[in-house]
Amino acid sequence: MIINNKEPLLEAKDLKTYFFTENGIVKAVDGVGFKVYQGEVLGLVGESGCGKSVTAFSIIRLLDYPGKTVEGEILFKGENLLRKTDAEMRKIRGKDIATIFQEPMTALNPVLTVGFQISEALLMHFKISKDEAIKKTIELLEKVGIPMPEQRINEYPHQLSGGMRQRAMIAMAMSCDPILLIADEPTTALDVTIQAQILDLMSTLLREFNGSLIMITHDLGVIAEIADRIAIMYAGKIVEYANKRTIFYNPLHPYTFALLTSIPRLDMEMKRLNVIPGIVPNPLHFPEGCKFNPRCRFMTDRCKEEEPQLIKVEEGHLVRCWNIDKVAPEVKKGLLVGV
Amino acid sequence: MMDSLLKVDNLVKYFPIRKGIFRRTVGWVKAVDDVSFEVYEGETLGLVGESGCGKTTTALTILRLEEPTKGQVIFDGRDIVKMKKADMRKERKNMQIIFQDPYSSLDPRMKIKDIIAEGILTHNLLNVRERYKRVGELLEKVGIPAENMDSFPHEFSGGQRQRIGIARALALEPKIIMCDEAVSALDVSIRSQIINLLKDLQKEFNLTYLFIAHDLSVIKYISDRVVVMYLGKIVEIADKKDLFTNTMHPYTQALISAVPVPNPDYKKERIILKGDVPSPANPPKGCRFHPRCSKVMKICSEIEPKLIEIKEKHFCACHLYNEK
Repeated sequence: MIINNKEPLLEAKDLKTYFFTENGIVKAVDGVGFKVYQGEVLGLVGESGCGKSVTAFSIIRLLDYPGKTVEGEILFKGENLLRKTDAEMRKIRGKDIATIFQEPMTALNPVLTVGFQISEALLMHFKISKDEAIKKTIELLEKVGIPMPEQRINEYPHQLSGGMRQRAMIAMAMSCDPILLIADEPTTALDVTIQAQILDLMSTLLREFNGSLIMITHDLGVIAEIADRIAIMYAGKIVEYANKRTIFYNPLHPYTFALLTSIPRLDMEMKRLNVIPGIVPNPLHFPEGCKFNPRCRFMTDRCKEEEPQLIKVEEGHLVRCWNIDKVAPEVKKGLLVGV
Repeated sequence: MMDSLLKVDNLVKYFPIRKGIFRRTVGWVKAVDDVSFEVYEGETLGLVGESGCGKTTTALTILRLEEPTKGQVIFDGRDIVKMKKADMRKERKNMQIIFQDPYSSLDPRMKIKDIIAEGILTHNLLNVRERYKRVGELLEKVGIPAENMDSFPHEFSGGQRQRIGIARALALEPKIIMCDEAVSALDVSIRSQIINLLKDLQKEFNLTYLFIAHDLSVIKYISDRVVVMYLGKIVEIADKKDLFTNTMHPYTQALISAVPVPNPDYKKERIILKGDVPSPANPPKGCRFHPRCSKVMKICSEIEPKLIEIKEKHFCACHLYNEK
């Protein structure tokens, strides 16, 4: 559900996160802005290295050296997270904003029991006794569908299967009733049938707590299922931003269009996959002008010289491209044929 | 009817579980348990299943990179399981493999021209000049400029490395190539490049592929026929079209329904499987899928269903179809 007439829960404004490496400055996130409303799912989509994970880490301020957010604002409930002290951030992280990472094996501590790790967050954010925390942990594990939670709380991460671990991660993220959940490729490491279980669980929980979700993924199928609004990222920038139906049926950026037509699909017969020529550019040497221009079939001279801005083509639909007029009819034709 | 190039008969591969200081065998991981199928000349046979179902072990056992515990592998009319090591090595000229991870499958200390030429050298096929000329041709074929042949693997991106892996597999003009999750590690835009390349090469060289993947969308796009595996067993074999429109086995149905489709209006009933895949060291009795099956019957926990031809060229191992 998209509600426009409200203040956003989270708003990123012109976020810039750079990595200061020995070889030069990597502009991993370069001027990203978006809004997340209460109860809505925002999908951040892109290929590896496009800056989608760094965006997430910037929001919760978990960047490691040499990464640094150099510019921008992250307004969460109206307050700028970038101005918070570490102690204040610690109170927000895990409580108001929770995260689920891709690889549950590395995100969980291997030498602590699952129960300890979940109750740790509860004890930190709430004034409750240990026994109460353990009781709540068992309830949480039951809620995310882990059988025999009384036994499971005493087990270590390696004793759980991949799907179970991800469920434990979700239980941990949900433990303090967050209002914003950030999920970074939460199902990528899982098998399809387990992925279906986890996505199902996540949608149920989301509906229940009416919170918001930022879903980071490269899988357009997962996004089609769960997101309300979608931001397509390429080379550290959002290239297209719209609601789900617009992205899938009326995309206007050549990259979005190319992505949609280059994936094999179960729902239609495809003669030949579309190909995006070339490779994702090296972040140390991004091309001049539009970052996508060397791989774009609609490229003009202007694309090589001047970088386009993210402009509004209609309410709630932003596109970063010089040649929208040329792309639009092609997209209509292309999506209909299937290629 | 096309000729069968590869015929796998009752293939079994068990791995021992060893414990204690004497490394005594206390059990067996039944990775591949009595698997039979055929691959026809010039086709792409998709082999699909979740992690741990034995699809990779099947490919490695066919190549005898893992020795089979039991069974026959008839390649080009001869049983390669009975072959001596030296003969087998010669035979591998006709059977090549492309691996999943383009980073670990190329030796970082070899120039790519030597990586690609290694097979030609081992089989003593061409002299030095011809060899590198051939490497140049192969590189151009897979879309890498031949002048890069003196570079090392780290100088290439993931997609380019996968192209190098493909050039290596092509070097000996094999009859069959096993693609073991060959496109799984690649980004969306690179994946379509490699899939198209594999299709083009197949047409040009009349190659046969055993294409292993866990992604059903890719399998649907690239395969002619599909084999579905679950916990070391084949549960269904069918022509691609038949498998996706006329799905028989409850596991295949669940698997297909679980794939997220990039279409916001695609309506389907999702079958959510309960629980995890059981351990292949201790598979359930009867039908291995029965603890997670939505259509489970009494007989399923007692008797293991056989893979039988339910209708023409559509095989399925499920008691639901056994009554007639």
